Amino acid sequence: MNFTIAATVKEALSALASGARPVAGGSDLVVSARHGKAPLPDQLIAIDRLRELQQIVVNADGSVRIGAGVTHAELEIHPLIGSTFSALADGSALVGSPATRHVGTLGGNVMNASPAMDTGAPLVVLGATAELQSIDGSGALATRLVPIGELWIGPGRTSAQPNELCVAIHLPARAGRSGSAYLRLEYRRAMEIAVVGAAASVSLAADGSLLAVSVALTAVGPKVFALGNMESLRGRPVDDALLREVASLAEEQATPISDLRAGASYRRHTVGVMARRAVGAAAERANGTTIAIPVNRAQGIGAAR
Amino acid sequence: MSMSTTAPADTEVPRRFVRADGPDKVTGSGRYTADLTMTGQLAAKFRYADVAHARITKLDVSAARAMPGVLAVLTNDDVPDVRFGPFVQDRTLFARDIVRFEGEVVAAVAALTPTIAQAACDAIVFEFELLPVVGDIEAALGENSQLVHQDWSNYGAADALLRDRNDASFASITKGDVAAGLADADHVITSRYVADGCHAAPIEPRAVVAQWEGDKVTIWTSTQVPFDARAGVCETLELPTNRVRIIVPHLGGGFGGKCGFHYEAHVAALARTAKRPVRLVFSRREEFVAPDRRREGMVIEITTGVKNDGTITARKAWIAIDNGAYTADSGFFSQLASMHVAGPYKVPNVSVDAHLVYTNHQPSGSVRAPTAPGACWALESHTDELARAVGMDPVAFRRLNALETGSVGPSGQTHDEIGLRRCIDRAAELIGFQDVRGDDEAVGMAIGWWPSFAAASGAYIKIDADGSGQIITGAQECGTGAVMTLRQLAADELGMEPEDFQLIYQDTSAAPFDLGATGSQTLFNNGRAVVEAAGEIGRQLRNLAAQRLEASVDDIVLANGSAHVAGTPTLSVAISDLAAEAAGGELLIAHGSGVPSSAPALVGSTCVGDLGMAAWVAPQFSCHAVRIRLDRDTGVVRVLNVAAVHDSGTILNEIGAQGQVEGGILMGIGQALTEGTVYGDDGNQRNAALLEYKLQTIADAPRISMHFVQIPTANAGPKGAKGLAEAPNVPTAAAISNALATLIGKPVRQLPMTAERVWEALQS
Repeated sequence: MNFTIAATVKEALSALASGARPVAGGSDLVVSARHGKAPLPDQLIAIDRLRELQQIVVNADGSVRIGAGVTHAELEIHPLIGSTFSALADGSALVGSPATRHVGTLGGNVMNASPAMDTGAPLVVLGATAELQSIDGSGALATRLVPIGELWIGPGRTSAQPNELCVAIHLPARAGRSGSAYLRLEYRRAMEIAVVGAAASVSLAADGSLLAVSVALTAVGPKVFALGNMESLRGRPVDDALLREVASLAEEQATPISDLRAGASYRRHTVGVMARRAVGAAAERANGTTIAIPVNRAQGIGAAR
Repeated sequence: MSMSTTAPADTEVPRRFVRADGPDKVTGSGRYTADLTMTGQLAAKFRYADVAHARITKLDVSAARAMPGVLAVLTNDDVPDVRFGPFVQDRTLFARDIVRFEGEVVAAVAALTPTIAQAACDAIVFEFELLPVVGDIEAALGENSQLVHQDWSNYGAADALLRDRNDASFASITKGDVAAGLADADHVITSRYVADGCHAAPIEPRAVVAQWEGDKVTIWTSTQVPFDARAGVCETLELPTNRVRIIVPHLGGGFGGKCGFHYEAHVAALARTAKRPVRLVFSRREEFVAPDRRREGMVIEITTGVKNDGTITARKAWIAIDNGAYTADSGFFSQLASMHVAGPYKVPNVSVDAHLVYTNHQPSGSVRAPTAPGACWALESHTDELARAVGMDPVAFRRLNALETGSVGPSGQTHDEIGLRRCIDRAAELIGFQDVRGDDEAVGMAIGWWPSFAAASGAYIKIDADGSGQIITGAQECGTGAVMTLRQLAADELGMEPEDFQLIYQDTSAAPFDLGATGSQTLFNNGRAVVEAAGEIGRQLRNLAAQRLEASVDDIVLANGSAHVAGTPTLSVAISDLAAEAAGGELLIAHGSGVPSSAPALVGSTCVGDLGMAAWVAPQFSCHAVRIRLDRDTGVVRVLNVAAVHDSGTILNEIGAQGQVEGGILMGIGQALTEGTVYGDDGNQRNAALLEYKLQTIADAPRISMHFVQIPTANAGPKGAKGLAEAPNVPTAAAISNALATLIGKPVRQLPMTAERVWEALQS
């Protein structure tokens, strides 16, 4: 095996163009190799020392560009992410253990494309875009922006080309009076993977009714996906009736499997619970209520109040 | 992080000291078996059956043997023709004709590297015809069920075992007249409970290193029971005990999972054939599927008669225990489970039948308090059903019916002074049993008991010329800290400090016999041996001091590192001076063993299939009470508080005792809520990995408050101590079950009570 440490993004892109695979924290790559799921690639290019990938840049318009090498631990405690893009902080704070969060990166989580990934649903509801870079045979740099929902095409599969590196995630500016939240069903409070999960983003009108709402679901389909048929919710107050409808929509659109973690009917029911709670927590945050990161802990047991 | 508070002890405030092996373990300077490297060392790998039940049609290792870098490949043809097993001789080192569970070893390879060894295992041609899988323990008892062992009746077995087809050990306890007792009752309640199997899951996967020098072999191994491991090697490789030396480096946890004889003989045989040292290190998956030490699954049916005033009149029970494919140390499980289902109650009429049933699952064995957490969970959940039937508070119901000093237990044992009722009262107080709570919170309580096991055990003590001592003991440390307390016992006997002693332990050729870290017995038995050896050293020191100080031997007191004349502390001589004198004459060397306590009498009961598990020396009692919160939308349960009160006799090191109780509770919460083996229809485990087999983490730990009821106990160990390693793992799951039943309105009848099972119970 050939292991090279990239000094620049360009070096990393050249290596990818010649067939190497990238490694940052290695928390998916190395673990799955050890478990015999996928052998380590013959050529590895380490991107964990690339400072250019580790910046969180806040633009004047309120949008942010998060380098792909930013770790979950950084996202968990970043003041702006926590206050303004809360769902992403909620999800980052739940990944694995403190050790995993200190090596695992947002770009790695995104490109691993697990349907159970904790940052996936937050990125969908926050309208994220992935920035992919590559260089072709002539050495020309190409940059492509892909809406996050179009990046994932199945479990562990993305629409990125083998020579493309995810260098950043872009999040558009948030509307006034908006909030977001991510919750997952978990059987223990650390070293856990989402049984199901849901993220929500809302923005509210002056009278408290919904101007916009989006919900995305985790671990109930081949990839993280946005809930559809949400139009009827707009313009309405966030009350029990609306939250029940959110739960029903999630239950209807989920396509869960039965596996060791849960049966399909339990998953279908609980993803509705998570969706309902995510919208509720997002609305509370939009109303200025402080719910500590992550919502799972703030609300007590599991993901419950 | 969990918080512990300990109220003052009943009779005295226990001492607190940091265990001697602590610094090595927390700084990383300690060496574990897998850390060892011998010159020329090879790597071992096993080829496993991977199928639960099959007849071998072809086993060809010639291609594996021919691979470069492969120095030994062994199968059943290459080792002595020996069947072994402590209760039933149903096992061989390597599969012979039939494989009976997925983790059965078919062949073993030693090669230059683990990669080559694995490639050689893969190159072994292993063909078979599948046989029907016996997976359901109740069906396996049927007249026409597939037999796991066709030749069961030809196997050697302990005389007391009652065996029949797939039933490897039947036991019953009967006392009084159950039919009459039930007829006398105002309410007769029948409950059925099912406990899934689970695992010890020590954090260190096992490792074995074997090295031959001439006709003698030294084996470094991660075992809890070095003498048992030695016996297994000697039996299967036909060697005398003085040619096999077992050494245990630091052990990275065991919880019973590393009791028994495991793979030491395989590795020794590989090393002998290869003429090189060989090291085996298990993967996590191997640790899950291969050892014969899984916690048994059980089906339990209990019927109890109770009067309107809450008095229990009779109890009848039926238990089927999953033995798995081979009978490891599980022969006594049927009788021990019977005791736990009968329970620490005053029940005048008792009839319990228990079967230990062969299946094509991984063999069961002694995991921390074998049979007790599952049996206690069933009995104590049933007990709350009884209390509800008569409209009594669970605390009052237990106060009325639980054993107390002088009462007769279910097997006819009359109890001396016991602290069970005080455990109940104090646990109720610590948890705030009567406090008002929110809709989603509830408390629950359960009581448990556990025997102290009296056994032979030995130790040597020597004091060298500078006055520093060594305790050379057969005892094994598995994390409990019990061995670490031996220094305290010797120091107290000799008026010295624990730091004056080093421990030489975990080496079968250096020290006399001990059973090992099993049955909560280390302090109980080896403590007795150390106290006796220290007493002998003390006599020698007093004789020397009497001569030096020109006083009577009877007047010499050993204290503060000196010998002085009673009443005249100034007339003294340092123990180090006496040691220097002895070094030039009669050396300060002593041995101790002591006579184990004999079992108490049983009166008025009949124990069929008696393996000595119905008469309990110095029994330990406990009561755990919990406060939980239930997320009704998802079935997720969170344990908020646990109050644990234990009568384990005198507490010799409070820090160690707290660690045992905290660990037992965390293990109990896992067994209650998240830990259970899932089997496929093919008989193989489906969750043999730490992601899908969910242990509790420190983030899940509740706030724990505890109290030790310290009362004198007849036939207790040193200074009145009983055991404490297993007792804290007995009643936690049961207490959680009772809190949950209060919230749901009925018990969840399968263990673990996973979120999904709780949610299903909430739906129906």
